[in-house]
Amino acid sequence: MLRALQVLAIAATIASAFWVYRQSYDTRHLSAEVTAAERRVERLKSEIAVLEAERAYLARPERIEPLARMQGLRPPTPDQIQPLSATAGAAKP
Amino acid sequence: MSPTSPAPASWRRAVVLAPIVFAFLAVAVQVLRLSATVRDEPRLAAAEPVPAAAPRPDIVDRHGRLLAADVMAPSLFADPSLVVDPDETADKLAAVFPDLERGELRRALADRTRRFVWIKRSLSPRLAQRIHDLGLPGLAFRDEPRRTYPGVRLAGHMIGYVGIDNQGLAGLERMLDHDQRQGPLGNRGDLEPVRLSVDLGVQFGLEAELADAMARTGAKGASGVILDAVTGEIVAMASLPSVDPARPAEHLEPLRFNRVTGGVYELGSIMKMATVAMALEHRIASLDTVLDVRVPLEAGRWKIVDPHPSPRPLTVREVFIHSSNVGAGMLALQAGAERQRAFLTRLGLTDPLRLESGPVAPPTLPKYWGRAETITIAYGHGMAVSPLQFAAAAATLINGGFAVTPTLIARDRPQPRMRVVSSATSEAMRDLMRRNVTSPKGTGRRAEVAGFEIGGKTGTAEIAGRGGYDEKAVISSFLAAFPMSAPRHVVLLTLFEPKGSAETGGQIAAGATAAPATGRLISRVGPLLMAR
Repeated sequence: MLRALQVLAIAATIASAFWVYRQSYDTRHLSAEVTAAERRVERLKSEIAVLEAERAYLARPERIEPLARMQGLRPPTPDQIQPLSATAGAAKP
Repeated sequence: MSPTSPAPASWRRAVVLAPIVFAFLAVAVQVLRLSATVRDEPRLAAAEPVPAAAPRPDIVDRHGRLLAADVMAPSLFADPSLVVDPDETADKLAAVFPDLERGELRRALADRTRRFVWIKRSLSPRLAQRIHDLGLPGLAFRDEPRRTYPGVRLAGHMIGYVGIDNQGLAGLERMLDHDQRQGPLGNRGDLEPVRLSVDLGVQFGLEAELADAMARTGAKGASGVILDAVTGEIVAMASLPSVDPARPAEHLEPLRFNRVTGGVYELGSIMKMATVAMALEHRIASLDTVLDVRVPLEAGRWKIVDPHPSPRPLTVREVFIHSSNVGAGMLALQAGAERQRAFLTRLGLTDPLRLESGPVAPPTLPKYWGRAETITIAYGHGMAVSPLQFAAAAATLINGGFAVTPTLIARDRPQPRMRVVSSATSEAMRDLMRRNVTSPKGTGRRAEVAGFEIGGKTGTAEIAGRGGYDEKAVISSFLAAFPMSAPRHVVLLTLFEPKGSAETGGQIAAGATAAPATGRLISRVGPLLMAR
């Protein structure tokens, strides 16, 4: 009976040793993954910031205005603006 | 073991078993403990006494369009203890960066006691690659936030600039550093963008029209501000020649200094708005009271006469529209220096003003406020104020009489309103200003643009120089508001030292220079403002 208990205990020890090793290995692996993901988030955030700045630079009025004028667009004239009431009246048959 | 003595045997067994059970328990507990606790990997955390750039919040306009943002840029540093050949390293670096001083660089690199030396901050990716390709030992990069301004020069004065460590040194950038919302070295994602009251499209329209007005009139400088007449939000504000936030040195050039908030000027006849409003408010006169403006006003050793004297007495209404200095002086004299000063204080014209981008140049008031000062201040001389501060006071006069505090930050909630001028006076001022543009004799008639109901007042002030005023060097201003039946926006456009041109008929007065420029400005940005 004692022999059986000993064998069982030894087996449990070995199993738990493996288990601990697995856990610690997995943990380290996961933590490396987390760090990598955090770095990626930082890098992507920084890329987003660059792209947003780029977009704002391309959309700056100084650049858009001549392009718009080339398309034949121009600032609206006062007679193009109507109060909502006027358009509602006009829509009626 | 003898079967005759089972007792000692079980006792012995217990002695052996107990430590074994205890040992196994200890192992089990340790297993559980190890799996339950998370241990951090050891990280290199060397303390570096190195200035590092701090992240800053984005600056966006009222519609969320970007005006200033942080992007990460590599900065080059050296670890002198790892540099193999300081001479070669210094030579090669100096070849890439011509602005670096080679001798100094070599000395820094040869100092083996140091572990950290900045070589060059905020490099472009291309330059960083070139350094990397040199393959020099002891050099490394470190990413730092760097400020970029996608609008380039747009709203440059307002934005200000930052220093090498990304710290705000002027304008809004400086204000952000003192703002409580920004934590110390917080994560970039934690910083809420700062939303301005400025509309980027209107700001561009203003800057373009100011540049156009400068070209048409040959003026040395121009400034403009567009203010929400009710909330005091600054929708656009500019001073030309402009500055680039990315080039701090430009901000120190005398010609480029910020005229809207950084300088005070005798603004001339636009001050008559305050004078007439004071007369109405104190019931010194009504709009129909007749004043004999043919008689020159005596002020000490000076005689005040109108540049284009009227052959007949004028009503107060006509005094405003013909812009009679004598008439304004007479009204002010009837009120007296005391009441004049008190009224200007109510409009906020005598106290220093603060804006989010920094303090506004404080008004210059006469040391002694006597008869001469009372008369000259009535038509805008003898007292100097920044254009922004005057625009805010003018907003009070036409918005129904409520105090206006200018701001650069978007105000989403309505602010409590404080009445400083009666609504009847404000209504009369709106009527006067509208008439000044519609009347064929009005000085502001060239500002008229169909559909916007513009009202306004001209001001042409001679610049005080050595030995008195110079007739040829003037500051021409036009203060406008629209739509006049219920004004939403106040515009103050100022041209500094315009020269007469063929287009203005050789004139430099505001009616021929600033007024038409304001008309063009409103026809351009008006639709944007109305649709807001």
